[in-house]
Amino acid sequence: MLNIPLRISCGLTVMLWAATLAAPVFDVNLPHGLDFTLRNSPTAQKYLIETMPGGVALLDYNNDGLLDIFFVNGGRVTSPMQMPENFDRHNPLYWNRLYRQNKDGSFTDVTQQAGLANAGDGNYGMGVAVGDYDNDGYPDLYVTNYGKNILYHNNGDGTFTDVTAKAGVAAGGWSVSAGFFDYDNDGKLDLFVTRYMDWDTKHNKDCGGNYHTYCPPEEFPATTSILYHNNGDGTFTDVSERSGIAAKKGRALGVAFADYDGDGFTDIFVANDGMQQYLFHNNGNGTFTEVGLEAGTALSEDGRRLSGMGVVFQDYDNDGRPDVIVTELPREIYGVYHNDGNGSFTYRSLETGLGALSSGSSGWGVGLEDFDNDGWKDLFVAQGHVLDNVEKIDPSLHYLEQPLLAMNHNGRFERVDSGSTAPVAGRGAAFGDLNNDGWQDVVMTTLGGHPQVFLNRGGKAHWLVITLRGTRSNRDGFGARVRVNGQTRFATSAGSYLSSSDKRLHFGLGIAEKAKVEIDWPSGIHQMLNDVHADQFLEVREPEKP
Amino acid sequence: MRALLFLWFAWQVASPQAAEHMQAGIAADKQRQFAVAIKEFRQVTEIDPSLPDGFISLGQAYMENGDYGSAFAPLKHALELNADSLPAHQLLGYALLAQGYAGEAIPHLQLAPDKTALGIAEIQTGQLAEAVANLQAAQSAHPNDPDVLYYLGRASGLLAKQSIDTLLAAYPDSARAHQAMAENYFVLRRMPDAEKEYSEALRLRPGLPEAHLALGEVYAGAFQWPKAEEEFRMQAKLQPGNAEAAYRLGEALLEQGKVHEARAELLRADRLMPDMPETLYSLGKAASLESDPAAAEKAWTKLLSIEKQSALAAQAHFGLAGIYRKQGKTAEAQREMQEFQSLQGANQPQPAGKQEPQH
Repeated sequence: MLNIPLRISCGLTVMLWAATLAAPVFDVNLPHGLDFTLRNSPTAQKYLIETMPGGVALLDYNNDGLLDIFFVNGGRVTSPMQMPENFDRHNPLYWNRLYRQNKDGSFTDVTQQAGLANAGDGNYGMGVAVGDYDNDGYPDLYVTNYGKNILYHNNGDGTFTDVTAKAGVAAGGWSVSAGFFDYDNDGKLDLFVTRYMDWDTKHNKDCGGNYHTYCPPEEFPATTSILYHNNGDGTFTDVSERSGIAAKKGRALGVAFADYDGDGFTDIFVANDGMQQYLFHNNGNGTFTEVGLEAGTALSEDGRRLSGMGVVFQDYDNDGRPDVIVTELPREIYGVYHNDGNGSFTYRSLETGLGALSSGSSGWGVGLEDFDNDGWKDLFVAQGHVLDNVEKIDPSLHYLEQPLLAMNHNGRFERVDSGSTAPVAGRGAAFGDLNNDGWQDVVMTTLGGHPQVFLNRGGKAHWLVITLRGTRSNRDGFGARVRVNGQTRFATSAGSYLSSSDKRLHFGLGIAEKAKVEIDWPSGIHQMLNDVHADQFLEVREPEKP
Repeated sequence: MRALLFLWFAWQVASPQAAEHMQAGIAADKQRQFAVAIKEFRQVTEIDPSLPDGFISLGQAYMENGDYGSAFAPLKHALELNADSLPAHQLLGYALLAQGYAGEAIPHLQLAPDKTALGIAEIQTGQLAEAVANLQAAQSAHPNDPDVLYYLGRASGLLAKQSIDTLLAAYPDSARAHQAMAENYFVLRRMPDAEKEYSEALRLRPGLPEAHLALGEVYAGAFQWPKAEEEFRMQAKLQPGNAEAAYRLGEALLEQGKVHEARAELLRADRLMPDMPETLYSLGKAASLESDPAAAEKAWTKLLSIEKQSALAAQAHFGLAGIYRKQGKTAEAQREMQEFQSLQGANQPQPAGKQEPQH
């Protein structure tokens, strides 16, 4: 996997290359104590929610320096569903779960003591967003549901408090992915919540004739996503209407944030299922304009609508501009929208090699992370078809799939062995350095099963992990653009599908032992650090003054 | 035809009394009062039992009433009176065919001008080559008749099946037998079986015409693009004049992002068979991917001169909008986008979930 030259004899180098290339990138296992099962409760009724969960978050909720893991569970679905809907969430089988990482790499279930048990019987779980919305230094949790969403405030003592009512962020309907970001650069994290469609169990449909399958999204009305403005006093205001977000109904599943046009304001990309993808340009005055069609991110190169599910908004080709990768269903190929730098994008799925890698797969959670620390962000996609009986209908498609791991070679992706051996119905995926070894790991959720933890086997290349500490900007530094030795990351925990990744920014440095770090904070402050030593976890505090 | 027959019959009637009943029968028939018509025509046969037309009309009335079995006797009697009566032969042929007596119907239908019923009867008796010939003649006379089109397709299919069955029975281990099996599996979407059979066919007879192309399509359907490329390349090598092989190879290369090679193959396909919309679209796409907007514009504009309303036309407008947008030609980009959007509603393929098992 290494792209750095090994200083040994030529012949031996070749042998080592061959050996490393053949070896899987990750060890895939379930760390001790991580006993979560994602219970989606598939029924003969084919309720759409059953095939859509569930999210995972990597966060350090107790600030002990170790990443902890939060999983969102589905719920019990009866066949048929009785009214009022009851998903049995008080039953521990259906709880969301928080696992605290121990120093030895094992995990302890702290759900109950953290106050996160029983997510509400009327809620079927979907996803999770993580952000420090009150800038108190502790990451808070926002859990999305079919039903009402829940905002858990991190009390800083290992416990959380449900503050949804006070905050006013319950939403309602069918929420899916969500993310914290600061759209008005006021130093407080706002909240964007995608909603899938206007659907409920009473109005479910059964499609597929004799095969009885989940229905395509077009069978149900589109709906609006929600933008909440953080008022700074523990409350939020729904600004969906006045911001222009509610002007566009969609079938939103994924959301990611980045400032694509470099105007200093964070923009929003929404992955919609079976329709145009939305790119909401931040006008800088509290409003957004949907520009997907004009910018070239709405459709495929052939003008076809896409089944957008997961999305990542990062720079894959190291040109300093955030690009978009959207995961899709088979025969659509994952969409790679290259940011050309003038407010427009070019569809590059074929040139990047992703066309051939994805045309038969269904993608959900997605991340661009430098797994081999060579200075290029690689691609990981959780995969598995929507329909649990898809093989009966089309034998060339598969409900259970292995995730896609594709290494980035100068902007072209090539599949490598992830280490996964058993195909699964992958859904959520979160990215971060679980064991603090400088090599990015992955946690992926699987429908009806245990999560898969992909622990990076590592190597010899150098790395740098940066934690942003905003002062004038939001404390997490979300929205900052960080450049390290020619690479760029946009600070966020959002993206992927239903999931929230480690907020720390990871950079592979290859053979470089020092780095030049440049940060453009959301406040407008530009900060530069020279000769930063490699192989360290660096916290960078935003200067109080420009 | 029914009215013509009756008019023709009316002139043949000799007795005024019989003519009166004949007219009454024709009038009743026109009003679809078939029971009345049958009664009147029976009167004609009783009054003038030597007149074939009375029996023909009676037989036809039975048939119109859905009682084909009762039509046999009067129609056969009409032929006893006049063995050369074409209407009697035609009607008796129809009646026999309707009752499943295809073999008996054929000699009568062979004398009738309409070849459709004869072709149908021949399908039922297994005379498939004759059926195809007669139905092709019928199609020439009635180009858009759904019944004719259906039966021609059925006869052709059965004839093909008969030929393949013979092949499989006589030479089960031949390359052609495996090729035929592969095609069958391909239609059934049993791709692993199709792949196996095509591979065996090619092992037995390397260079088997069309087999590489077909195997390539199997791989393409399973998203195995490198293997598809290999097969299409083999076909293109074997048949350098085969435009489809060049096109398919270009598509497989394009899917893998091998844009330059793809473009060369698509250009070759275009030279071999110019003005194919699919080739032109992909050619424009490859040119666009190679940052050659002028060539992309040329290919898509050419496509739009050939097809104006199709899904490919919509895609070409979308592609042109992208080119013009990047060139800063806002007005042109907007125009093309409007064209795309106006066509999109009519031509946009059904969302994935509706055309295949997707969400």
